[in-house]
Amino acid sequence: MAVATGSASVDEAAQKAPQPPVRRRQWWKSKSAIAAYIFIAPYVVFFMVFRVLPAIYGIGLSFGEYSLAGAFEFIGVDQYVKLFDDPVFWDSLWVTLRYAAIAMPLTVVLSLAIAQLCNRMMRGMAFYRSIFFLPAVTSPVLSGLIFVWIFSESGPINRLLSAVGLAPISWLQDSFWVLPALALVSAWMNFGYNMLILLAGMLAIPQEYYEAASIDGANAWQRFWRITLPSLRPALFFVLVLETVKSFQTFDTIFVMTGGGPVRASYTLTFMLYDQGFGYFDFGYASAVGVVLLIIALVFSLIQRRLVGRDD
Amino acid sequence: MSATHDLPQATAPSPRRTNAPMPAQRQLIRARRLVPMHALLVVVAVVTAFPFYAMVMIAFQPGQAIVLPDSMFPETLSLAAFQDALNSQNIPQWALNSAIYSIVSVVIVLLFASMAGYAFAKKRFAGREVIFWVFIAMLMIPYHLTIIPQYLIVGQLNGLDTMWGMIAATIANAQAMFLMRQFIYSIPDEMLDAAKIDGASEFRVYWSIVLPQTKPIMATLGTFVFLWHWNDFLWPMISQQSPENYVLTVGLNTLQEQQVPLATMMAAAVVSFIPTLIIFILLQRYFVRGVMMSGMK
Repeated sequence: MAVATGSASVDEAAQKAPQPPVRRRQWWKSKSAIAAYIFIAPYVVFFMVFRVLPAIYGIGLSFGEYSLAGAFEFIGVDQYVKLFDDPVFWDSLWVTLRYAAIAMPLTVVLSLAIAQLCNRMMRGMAFYRSIFFLPAVTSPVLSGLIFVWIFSESGPINRLLSAVGLAPISWLQDSFWVLPALALVSAWMNFGYNMLILLAGMLAIPQEYYEAASIDGANAWQRFWRITLPSLRPALFFVLVLETVKSFQTFDTIFVMTGGGPVRASYTLTFMLYDQGFGYFDFGYASAVGVVLLIIALVFSLIQRRLVGRDD
Repeated sequence: MSATHDLPQATAPSPRRTNAPMPAQRQLIRARRLVPMHALLVVVAVVTAFPFYAMVMIAFQPGQAIVLPDSMFPETLSLAAFQDALNSQNIPQWALNSAIYSIVSVVIVLLFASMAGYAFAKKRFAGREVIFWVFIAMLMIPYHLTIIPQYLIVGQLNGLDTMWGMIAATIANAQAMFLMRQFIYSIPDEMLDAAKIDGASEFRVYWSIVLPQTKPIMATLGTFVFLWHWNDFLWPMISQQSPENYVLTVGLNTLQEQQVPLATMMAAAVVSFIPTLIIFILLQRYFVRGVMMSGMK
């Protein structure tokens, strides 16, 4: 990784550079080092207090009971025992997995198709790309509010359905359709961002590959399947993992659009965490859900390491 | 970022290109293929832009049941919903809160991240590697796990329901510091050394030599941080209890719960979207650069 090589070469450069004869043991007392500590101090303080400490604290909380009075009592793995016995947890894990299984492929396939569509020189392309990118900078709350109306009983989608003679669907009140509807919102919000990442990958593919393939008689589909997709592997894996992690952590749109309903049909793990934490103020139990989310995130980044690491 | 795929072919003839169509013929084929291509792109663009169009249309037609396709191009536009939103609700206060939350955060994040990034890129000090890797490792921790402890810690510091408490918890941004460090790393050491030989103080080197060079990454990061904060929802909702302290996203959500007329809510939504749109139009290329950087690890 660039991080490691970067730091190493800084060290080498610093060692090779003709330095004033400061004794090795005391170099950290040098003016430059003291200045460095001053420069990193504000960042490190805020980082320790509001990131590192909460992460440790969060894992710690999951092994205890936190009362509203503020007293913390260590109870070992009891929260996890309770969690694994709780049908609500398994239901929400199942909802989360189903949501991810719809949202992630939908978003990635859409992103890839539109990146491919945008990967050519032509008049007006910059304009199209801007339009496609606009949802990615829109707040999830705003997107949610608009889509509540779009999916409503007399909203545009149901109008479209009745125009072609189909029965309207109560998208957000139907436990079958609520997850696909939410996944559609996620696809709308995220495809522009992924499209850019995939487009950057596509632009890096040497044009000669396509020329050679065309001369050998490969059609557009074969060129996409045999050249574009394999060359795009790193960017595609990045997008896949990003979207997977995002879909496991979706909260804002669900909160605004369905509130976890109907009857917990869109009650994801993040929703359970929020509910336990800020609905019932059961911080220990909520933190146990958070640790489960952490483990899921770790597993997926390990998978990404593996798959991408093998490639290059 | 414009694709220049077709250009090299035209200028670099290879021996195998003899079978290729003649230029005039090729142009014709391409022109004919352009029509379905544009048609496809227009369809995708219309579908993508429709929610924005719907939002604006509803906001301009207060008091009417919004039906489609009858009112796709309404004959009358009314500003009443906007007046309603700006007068009767807390919306101006919320917009101000959102602006303070976003702008103050951008300034502090850029300052702290560039200071730390400079030290990590150009200075040697004990513990540098350890601290840096702790920062990177924290990127793996899901936000939702840390939000409860964050709430408790800000509460301990008496920062709940205050602007500073809301800002303080969000400014330690590891990605921002990481991007800054990568960028400052590429500034030549000679430049910094020359300034030091000329007698510049440590702070002077940072302020007058390093900082002016970071303008491109400042623009990229600033755009990101502004939009993150402007669009942020969960943390402001949890940390702010009084309605007058809400930010726009949180306020908008409560409007929905209060059964405010749809047109008024959409007018407020339009108002909340305007800064995003302005930032997007003005700083689009910086944002695009940032996204592309994140894809090329």
